[in-house]
Amino acid sequence: MNKKVLALGALTLASATVLAGCSAGGDASSTGAAGDGTLSIYAWAGEIPDSAIEGFEKETGITVTVDTFDSNETMISKLAAGNSGYDVVEPSQYAVQLMVDRDLVASIDQSKLEGFDNLAEKFVDPSFDPGNEHSIPWAWGTTGILYNEACTGAPVTGWKDMWNPAYTGKVYMLDNMLSAYIAGLQVNGLSATTTDEGDIEKATDSLLEQKAILGGYNSTNYADLVGTGDACIAEAYSGTTSATAVENNPDVKYIIPEEGGTLWTDSFSIVKGTANEDAAYQWLNYTLRPEVAALVTDDASLASTNEAALPLVADQSQVENPAIYAPAESLKNSEFIVDPGDALAFFQDGWTRVRAS
Amino acid sequence: MNASSSARPGRIAPSAAGYLMLLPALAVIVLLVIVPMLVIARDSFAISDPLGGNLGGFTLANYEKLIDPVYLKTLGYSLGMALLNAVVCTVVGYIVAYYIATRRASLQPVLLVLVIIPFLTDFLVRTFAWITLLGSGGPFISLLRALGVDAQSLVPSQLAVTLSLLYAFLPVAVFPIYAAMRSIDPSLKEAAADLGAGWWQTHARIFVPLSASGLASSVMLTFVPTLGVFVIPVLLGGGKDPLVGNLIVTLFTEFRNEPLGAALSMVVLILMLASVAGAGLLLRNGARRNRSLGKDA
Repeated sequence: MNKKVLALGALTLASATVLAGCSAGGDASSTGAAGDGTLSIYAWAGEIPDSAIEGFEKETGITVTVDTFDSNETMISKLAAGNSGYDVVEPSQYAVQLMVDRDLVASIDQSKLEGFDNLAEKFVDPSFDPGNEHSIPWAWGTTGILYNEACTGAPVTGWKDMWNPAYTGKVYMLDNMLSAYIAGLQVNGLSATTTDEGDIEKATDSLLEQKAILGGYNSTNYADLVGTGDACIAEAYSGTTSATAVENNPDVKYIIPEEGGTLWTDSFSIVKGTANEDAAYQWLNYTLRPEVAALVTDDASLASTNEAALPLVADQSQVENPAIYAPAESLKNSEFIVDPGDALAFFQDGWTRVRAS
Repeated sequence: MNASSSARPGRIAPSAAGYLMLLPALAVIVLLVIVPMLVIARDSFAISDPLGGNLGGFTLANYEKLIDPVYLKTLGYSLGMALLNAVVCTVVGYIVAYYIATRRASLQPVLLVLVIIPFLTDFLVRTFAWITLLGSGGPFISLLRALGVDAQSLVPSQLAVTLSLLYAFLPVAVFPIYAAMRSIDPSLKEAAADLGAGWWQTHARIFVPLSASGLASSVMLTFVPTLGVFVIPVLLGGGKDPLVGNLIVTLFTEFRNEPLGAALSMVVLILMLASVAGAGLLLRNGARRNRSLGKDA
């Protein structure tokens, strides 16, 4: 072992450490999908159960490849780079708007759809995509509060509890600008979809004030932290991890804050210029079937946008879990988080100040 | 000096075939290191559009935006953290390397392998392990509580970040220091003892100066990659004080501003290159001094 070999070894270790950090990001290998009999889907990690894919392949003989992403931005930049080879993508609501504006997704010919009536009312003609012209919602969820009652000592009802100094050091916010601003805006009685500079300024002040009592910003393992009591109260997304935390610990509860609620939904869109348009429509129609849509709850612990699918879910306790399906009455005033457009700059300035304070 | 730099005895003149064999390695470096860096450098002067597109063109606005107390504060904090980690890793690495280098020859490779073994596990898994170890249900807190101390979870805390950074980069520090120490003649230690040098003097006057090149490499190899870390501060530090790596991720993703993210990346890259160059200079001066010391002796 001479010096050079050792130094080289050390360098390799150093770069391996850094690269390993990177691999926490997206993991998707590109696939060439031109030609017949194939369909290439780019979707959120964990949102399309294998059971759904296998059923589709068996029925149609089409070979499906699924690559996954863990942020809309990763997915959009890959498509924007061109020649992605994907036929179908699964953007969230605001990402649909961005992709339409950037001309990355095709218009959907409604006459080719079967089973569109199965969708629940709130996903038909949604604010982010009038007439469902570019997107067919597949899974949905909420942004709410996950808390541990053994730690808070009392039921939590709304965002205001996340400003309660009694929980200092045990309050966690999502490490995501638009999600953090939902709490910042709604706690002030403002709309989560505002684009008004003054409103956003007010929310920024609230978030700055809140930072003093925060344990941290976390989008990764907040559900574990609430489960163990290291966090009393955390801003949270509904879905698999929150649902598991609620199931595993009777003290852990998921609520939609009384100040208002927000919805997110991930939809299927057809990539502009796809060579496999027929297969893409077959996929859309297949996923609109109630028995297929029910799989997203059965096998992925997510809420289905398909009203007709709910009775078909095998484990009905999942439909009653508020961390998967938020109760209808809590969603009365809920709205979709949409793209802030030019107001994005106000959010960014504010968020930069909050994070660096 | 002059003689040694002009005529290099023992050096084989590279043949055409030799250069040809270098080609694959060169291609890899050009394609995977130089080209991406040039793309980032180019993007850092581009104009961004609010939808997240990159419009090309040329502007200095991205760099102007970075002259903001917010970014300077994060950069300063990151440099501080990186420096702290480099120092802590090098001190602990020195102790470990000295221990290994002074074991019997057959044991040394085994100990080195033991240092590397944790690296066979995924980086994220090891980081999560620290959450368990230092968290409220973990052995450390349980022990303190058993001793009657009212201990709170150590996650999130600056201590947890420092510990896990040390853990993540320690092998990188151990190797170059060990390499430098191996070439130290063990009889020097005996000579020092004969001349009445104590433990401290033996290290301060013999081992530290003679392993200086390894110590400098260790500082560099830990300092530079720590600047790029972004998972540890979120998971173990609560993410309240972002490092520059976190900021770059945010700029590229949530802020949809590739050019601004690219500009910040370039600033970090330049800081890294400057520190490597600085360390290189120090090393060369140190080597020259050592050589002259050797002559005097």
